[in-house]
Amino acid sequence: MSLQGLVSGAECAVPFNPLSQVLKHTDGDRSIQQDRIAGPSGSRLQHLPSTTAAPGSERDLALARQFFDNNGQASSSTPNFAIPRHIAPPDMSRFMNAPGASSELMAAWAESQHKQQLHMPGPTLQVPQSSGSAWAGEFGSGMQVVAPGPSVQQSMAQQPNFYQSSYMGSRMYGGIPMNMFSTPMNMTTTAVDKGKGKSREIDFEAAFAEVTQSLGPSEAEMARIVELDDTADLQEAMSGVSLESIVDSQPPVGADFKTVWDQLQNSDMPPPVEDVAKWEAEFNQLMNSQRSSDLDFDYGAMMQGAWESGLGNWGEPALESGTKFNEEGLPVLGEYEFDAGNQHLDPSTSTQSPLEDAKRLLEQNGSLTEAALLLEAAIQRNDLGKGGYEAWILLGEVRSMDEREEQGMRALTEGVRRAEEAGAAGEGMLSLAISFTNESYERASHTMLLRWLKARFPDHPIPAEAWESLTQSSWHSHDRVTEIFINLAREQHSKGVLDPEVQVGLGVLFYTNNEYDRAKDCFEAALSVRPADFMLWNRLGSSLSNGNHPEAALGVYREALNLRPTYTRAIYNVGVACLNIGAHKEAAEHFLTALAMQDSSAGPKSEQLWFTLRRAFQAMDRQDLADKATANTDLDVFRGEGFDY
Amino acid sequence: MSTIKAEGFKGSETLAALAAVFDSYSDEEKKAQIKKTNGIFEIRLKNANGEEGIWTIDLKTTGSVYKGESKSKPNVTILMSDETFQQLATGKLDGQKAFMTGKLKTKGNMMFATKLDGVLKSAKAKAKL
Repeated sequence: MSLQGLVSGAECAVPFNPLSQVLKHTDGDRSIQQDRIAGPSGSRLQHLPSTTAAPGSERDLALARQFFDNNGQASSSTPNFAIPRHIAPPDMSRFMNAPGASSELMAAWAESQHKQQLHMPGPTLQVPQSSGSAWAGEFGSGMQVVAPGPSVQQSMAQQPNFYQSSYMGSRMYGGIPMNMFSTPMNMTTTAVDKGKGKSREIDFEAAFAEVTQSLGPSEAEMARIVELDDTADLQEAMSGVSLESIVDSQPPVGADFKTVWDQLQNSDMPPPVEDVAKWEAEFNQLMNSQRSSDLDFDYGAMMQGAWESGLGNWGEPALESGTKFNEEGLPVLGEYEFDAGNQHLDPSTSTQSPLEDAKRLLEQNGSLTEAALLLEAAIQRNDLGKGGYEAWILLGEVRSMDEREEQGMRALTEGVRRAEEAGAAGEGMLSLAISFTNESYERASHTMLLRWLKARFPDHPIPAEAWESLTQSSWHSHDRVTEIFINLAREQHSKGVLDPEVQVGLGVLFYTNNEYDRAKDCFEAALSVRPADFMLWNRLGSSLSNGNHPEAALGVYREALNLRPTYTRAIYNVGVACLNIGAHKEAAEHFLTALAMQDSSAGPKSEQLWFTLRRAFQAMDRQDLADKATANTDLDVFRGEGFDY
Repeated sequence: MSTIKAEGFKGSETLAALAAVFDSYSDEEKKAQIKKTNGIFEIRLKNANGEEGIWTIDLKTTGSVYKGESKSKPNVTILMSDETFQQLATGKLDGQKAFMTGKLKTKGNMMFATKLDGVLKSAKAKAKL
C-alpha cells in the first residue's frame, strides 16, 4: 500500500523523519477517538468529539507527502509561529453564526483558536525550517481542492465530495478501498463539514498532547492504539509501519517534542483546558443536533448498498419478458409489420414506382397514412430507392410524423441498418434517435446520436470512454455524449459554422435530460438555418410544451401546421398543450382531428392517440365518453356529442 | 383511488393520478407499458411530520398502483421525502440529481430506479419531438 511506501520511503531519505512522526499523530488521533468510544480512560485528554474520522486515503497521503516533503527540504531552524493561513476568517465567522452558538461558545472558540495558533505548528517545529511564508505557500498549493482553512484534517472532511463525483463520473472506484463507502459521510450541509474539520484540529491537538504525555516510548500503548484502528487493511499496513518507525525514531524526536511542549507550557498563554473542554462539549451538542435533523442520511451505506445490489450486476440481461435491449441499450423490436390490406400492392391499380408516388404525395401535403402505404408497397415490390435504404428511412419518418412511433422505429432501425451496409452510415440515425427519445429509450437514443456523430464527423475525436458509457446507465452516457456534442458545436462555432443537424442532436440530448430550456435554444438555432422545416418547428414546440410553456408552444405548432397541415404529430402535440393548459374540450377536439386524419386507411389508429383522448375525456369528467373512446369506435359518435373537429 | 390517497402526503395525489392513468390504459397499452418497464417499485415517502407512507407501482404483472408494501418482492425500494417526490413528479428535480444529493435512497436494483422518472412522466401527457 502506498501508505507503507510513503512512510518507509521517507524514512530512508531522512535519518529522523518528521513525516513518520506526524503520520503517527494522525493515526493516534483516530485511535484516541475510538478509544473514547470504547471506554474513556482518565489519563487522557477529556471530551474528545466522538466523530469517526474517514480512514486516510491515497489522496490524503499524497497531500501529506507534498506538504511534508517540502518541509523536510527546508534547512534553517527558526521556528515560526505566525501562520495566518491556518485560520480562515470566513470559515470561523460561519461557524460563529451557526444556530445554537452561544456567547460562551464563542469565547471558548476564541480561546481555543489562540491555542491552536500556538499548537498547530507543533509538527513543523521539529523540522528545521527557513521561512514561514514558504511553508504557508507550499501548504496552500498542496491543498488547491480544499478552499478555506487549509489543513490536512480538513481535507478529510472534504473527502466525501471528492469521491462522490468521481464515483459516478467515471467508474474509477476500483482503486478506492471499499471501506470508504461504509464510513458515514455526512455532507449535506457545509456547516457540518467545516465543523468536522475544526473538530479534527482539536483531535490533532489531543494527539499531540498525548504524545507528550507518553514520552517514555511505551510500546504497549502504541500497539494498543493501532489495534483500535477500525479499517482492517489500513491497520495491517500501519501496525507494522508505525510500530517500527515509532521505536526507531521516538527517542530523538520525543526529546525535541518535549522541549517544544515545555516552551508552550511556559509561554504567556497557557491553554485553558477547562474552556476547551466546555467548548468541545458544546460543539458536540451542536454537531449532534444538526446530524439528527438530517433525515438519517447515510451516503456511505447507501453507496455500499447500491454497489452490492445494483451496480455489481448492471450488465445482467434485462428481465425475461420485457423488451430486450442489446448491450448499447438499443431495443430489439422485431420486424416491421406491413399492412395486410394495402391496395397499392395490387399492380393493376398502382403506377410504376410507388416510391416516387409517395414522395410526390409528401410534397403535396397529402395524407401521411397514404404515403406510408405507398412506401410499404414500394418496399414490398423492392422499389427501395437510393442505396436500398431510402424507402425504409422515409417510411420510418412518415410513420413517426403520423404518430405511429412503434412502426416508425422499426422501419428506421431497418433503414439505418441497410444504410450502414450500403456505406452511407448516418442516414436516418437522427430520426431514429428522436423516435427512441419519444419512447423513453434514452440509452438507445444516446447510442444512435453518438454513432451518427461518428458517421458524419469521422475526424471529431470520440474517447473510448464515451463508447463504454453507452453500456452503462443512461445517466452516465448522457453526460459523455453531451460533452462530445458540445465540443463539436463549439468547434463549429469557432469556425463560424452553424450545423443545424448538430444542433438538433444536441437539442435531443438536452430534451432527454429534461433540460427543455437548453433544448429550445438548440432547436431555435437550427431553425435559424432551416426556417421551412416543419419538423423542427414541432420539436421547438415540444420543448416549450414540456418545459411548462404550453401557451408559447401553441404558436410554434401553428407554424409547423402552416407548413404541413397534415402533420398528425403536431396536431397531437397541440392537443397535449391544450390538455396541460386546462382546455380539455379543445384538447379532445384536436385528438379527434388527429384520429380522423389517420382514418384514411384501413390500418389501425394510434393507440397513443386513443389513450390521450380518453384522458382528455376523463379530465372533462365525461367517463361515459372515455369508455367509448376505444379503437373500434366510429369517430362520428363524438361529433354527435358536440365536438367540432 | 381513494384508497391510494393519504392524509398529509402530497405525493399520494400524484400516485393517485398515476393510478388513474394506468386505469385508462387499454389492455394493449398496459401491456406495452409493462413490457417497457417490467418491474416493481416500492416507494416509501416520509412527510414533514416524520410519518412514513408506502406505495407500490407494479409494472411487472398487473400494471397498477396500490398503497402498502409490495405484494411480491420489489425490484427496487425507493426512499425519499414527500417533498422530493413532488419535485420529481413535476420535473423540477431529476432522479439523478436527487440521488447524487442524497435526497433519494434506494434498496435493491439501483439501475432499475432510473426508470422511475419515465414512469412518473407518463402521469402527465407529454409532447413528442
